[in-house]
Amino acid sequence: MKKTHIIAIVIIAVAIGVITTSLGNASTYGNFTEAFDNPDSKIQVVGYFNKEKELVYEPEIDPNLMSFYMTDKEGKECKVVLNQSKPQDFERSEEIVLKGKAVGEEFHATDMLMKCPSKYNDGNLQVYTD
Amino acid sequence: MEYIGEHLWAGQLGNLFVIVSFVAALLSTYAYFKSSKETEEHKDSWSDLGRLAFRIHSIGVVGVVGMLFFMLLNNYFEYHYVWQHSSKSLPIRYVFSAFWEGQEGSFILWSFWHVILGNLLIRSAKNWESTVMTVFSSVQIFLTSMILGVVVLDYKLGSNPFTVLLREHPQFQNIPLFSSENYLEKLDGRGLNPLLQNYWMTIHPPTLFLGFASTLVPFAFAIAGLWKRDYQGWIKPVLPWTIFGVMVLGIGILMGGAWAYEALSFGGFWAWDPVENASLVPWITFVGALHVMHVQKTRGNAAPTTFAMTIFTFILVLYSTFLTRSGILGESSVHAFTDLGMYGHLLSYLMFFFALGLTMFFINLKKFPKAEDDAFSSREFWMFVGTLVLALSAIHITIMTSKPVINLIFGTKMALDIGAQERFDIYHSFQIPVVIVITSMIAFTQFLKYKKSDGKAVFRKLAISSLSALIITGLFTFAFDYTNPYYILMLFSAMFAITGNIEYLIRILKGNINKAGSSIAHIGFALIMLGALLSTSKSIVISENSSSIDLESLGDIKNNENILLYQNDTVKLQDYYVTFIGKRKEGVNIFYDVKYMKKIDSDYITEFTLSPRIQLNPQMGNVAEPDTRHFLYKDIYTHVTYADLSMPADTDPDKYGELATRQMKVGESFFTSNFKYQLDSVFVNNKVSIDSLNDSTRIEVVAQFSVIDKIGNISKASPMYVIENIDSGKILSIPHELEEAGVILSLNKIIPSENKYEISVREKNSVKNDFMVMKAIQFPMINVLWIGCFLFMVGCIIAMINRMQANK
Repeated sequence: MKKTHIIAIVIIAVAIGVITTSLGNASTYGNFTEAFDNPDSKIQVVGYFNKEKELVYEPEIDPNLMSFYMTDKEGKECKVVLNQSKPQDFERSEEIVLKGKAVGEEFHATDMLMKCPSKYNDGNLQVYTD
Repeated sequence: MEYIGEHLWAGQLGNLFVIVSFVAALLSTYAYFKSSKETEEHKDSWSDLGRLAFRIHSIGVVGVVGMLFFMLLNNYFEYHYVWQHSSKSLPIRYVFSAFWEGQEGSFILWSFWHVILGNLLIRSAKNWESTVMTVFSSVQIFLTSMILGVVVLDYKLGSNPFTVLLREHPQFQNIPLFSSENYLEKLDGRGLNPLLQNYWMTIHPPTLFLGFASTLVPFAFAIAGLWKRDYQGWIKPVLPWTIFGVMVLGIGILMGGAWAYEALSFGGFWAWDPVENASLVPWITFVGALHVMHVQKTRGNAAPTTFAMTIFTFILVLYSTFLTRSGILGESSVHAFTDLGMYGHLLSYLMFFFALGLTMFFINLKKFPKAEDDAFSSREFWMFVGTLVLALSAIHITIMTSKPVINLIFGTKMALDIGAQERFDIYHSFQIPVVIVITSMIAFTQFLKYKKSDGKAVFRKLAISSLSALIITGLFTFAFDYTNPYYILMLFSAMFAITGNIEYLIRILKGNINKAGSSIAHIGFALIMLGALLSTSKSIVISENSSSIDLESLGDIKNNENILLYQNDTVKLQDYYVTFIGKRKEGVNIFYDVKYMKKIDSDYITEFTLSPRIQLNPQMGNVAEPDTRHFLYKDIYTHVTYADLSMPADTDPDKYGELATRQMKVGESFFTSNFKYQLDSVFVNNKVSIDSLNDSTRIEVVAQFSVIDKIGNISKASPMYVIENIDSGKILSIPHELEEAGVILSLNKIIPSENKYEISVREKNSVKNDFMVMKAIQFPMINVLWIGCFLFMVGCIIAMINRMQANK
């Protein structure tokens, strides 16, 4: 066997080890029910911001904290506490992805990704009204 | 109905160009394929036909480009693509951005670059022309089919910007606007996404797509080499192209980083976003391919690796196209394209060339020349190991980015990471060791000779550079206070790569600039890694929340990177004293002026003012753009994360603002922008004894507040809650106005069960202070990265010219 082959096998073995470990540690997509069933595991929940319910963001008190209600894809609603400042145009978001875990009755999120309407056809034609 | 003012001829002409380019690509592929057969009688006339067809194809593609520009420049909003990406108010300089904002436009841009490269190849490829151009044209068949937009057996093949009229678009068919024949008079385009109204959007996509396009040249040559069983001859002509591609793709990727850093709110130049990764991976394998090509050229024993790396580079470009355009990434990336339903089409494009490459490779596998074992002290051994490490780096990033694909195949539910910190953990744990290995190899490998070199002599040669690298690393470790061993190792290996190559330049090359290309490019690369390390690992969020708010209740999820600034208040952020001066509106932008000061003795000296802004766009959403102050050794980045968008002129200062209501217990307090409100006590004003209680008793409940302003002046307020008489249940809330302060306090409700009181406050608009929430980050030494980028480019250009001259 050639030296290069031995080195190749060693490096590849290490790489496979590292990759499988980090894939194993990846957080999973889920819904609120799963989040509350496993309160210790980090989970990503996709859902919609409930525009009817109260959204609290009071920068005077804490610029890094907001709370709102989100309905997941299964239709379950939950209060979300997000440890971030309120993004521009949050109210317009169509779909949001939250990463976090269940704490008590709430879902505490550390990261959020919004599907911004800009990239999607909102179906409105702008018409001049002169 | 006859519509007035539509320019249907433009679309028809554009569509004609599309069809011409598609058909000509088919013809060119067939003709070139015929001409590449040894046994073919009319070889020359077939290759003449292939060439002619490719030229016609080129005219078609250039025509497509021209027509789309023409329609965008003239606001032909009857076309969906023009309407979707442009508007009357869009400045002309953004027409390029509008052109390639959509999938269709970027496919056109991509095939335009292929046409340019293809025509250059026809001139220079000589006896490789027929085979190489067969592959080239076949790629063009797929690319032009993406904009064909014809329906075949109920499946819409591609999306054609020339044939989709707005009024015929499925989403808009029933809109009343189109019942009027002169609807165009009233119509305006939807406009360009404000995030993309930026000069980076003008230069980044074409550079990146030129980089993608230039991976096709080595791929076409590699397929041609396998096809003709010539494993050696294709390397020489392809080397300058490969260096060119590595340079352009590298610069294109870094431009994306510069864009993210300057104009987007990532808070850094690299976020390991799936789309960024998708463009980085082919670059990594491209670099690997370039290095084994050198081994194959000199020693002829690296054919399998060279073919594999070259073919995979192109396949990975197609894979990245598939990832970003098929919609499979879903909502996990900030900048994937809108899904056009081309999933199957894109997959077939990817699979066709994947199968082609794989088949050609395995047909030849047994025929590759057998190589003898490389010596430890040979250059090719280390270049081979380096390439292997690069391949693993690419595999790691690909797998981590492909979670949605893995989920699809295996039914798992792995989530793509969305948090910055998590991404750093995942990618850096693997990629930092990769960088350490690679930069170390960059430092010493070129001192080694092909075949075999004198190990001891190399060690002696490396003494000065390794020692100086060690000293500089020590200084940096001390100056930046590094403790993480990975970072220190990376610091050293990057330094070593720089000093090693400088020494090589001086001692071995004796300053011969023609041969210096690779050394300069390697120094550039090492500087990029060094700059990335310093600016990322030692970036400090200087706006960490200093307020006394208790975040303990949140447990381990604490993020206090944003800070609230009231107008004219000064807050200390690290070395700076920062004041939010105020905001001003210019056009669609609201600028928030933030003054950074230093305190010298007891004076505040203004150092600079930053004006991060929010661009208002009612249609697509507002966008915040950071502002960064550049110094030689550091950058100060400032970004508005939240702010009030109304302008002071919109409100009457003497009027009272919005009502703020909250529930509190005695002894508690809360803050508004100007005051602290403390509920001192609550008592019943008129002494009523239980005995005398009757139906008409009036009960007055008084809430005693201390209203404390910023300087500490205390005023007392006592709103009342009055039960007129128990019988009627008539209740009055008597507010208390503090006129001087401009505050009205009232007690609305008593909640005995919780022992709480509901109170509300209104403050005058003149009193209400404006505020902004911002994030500020200090990035040290980021200029090292940009200097590295420049040197990398210079080195690549020198190497490319050198290779071109050698081929003459």
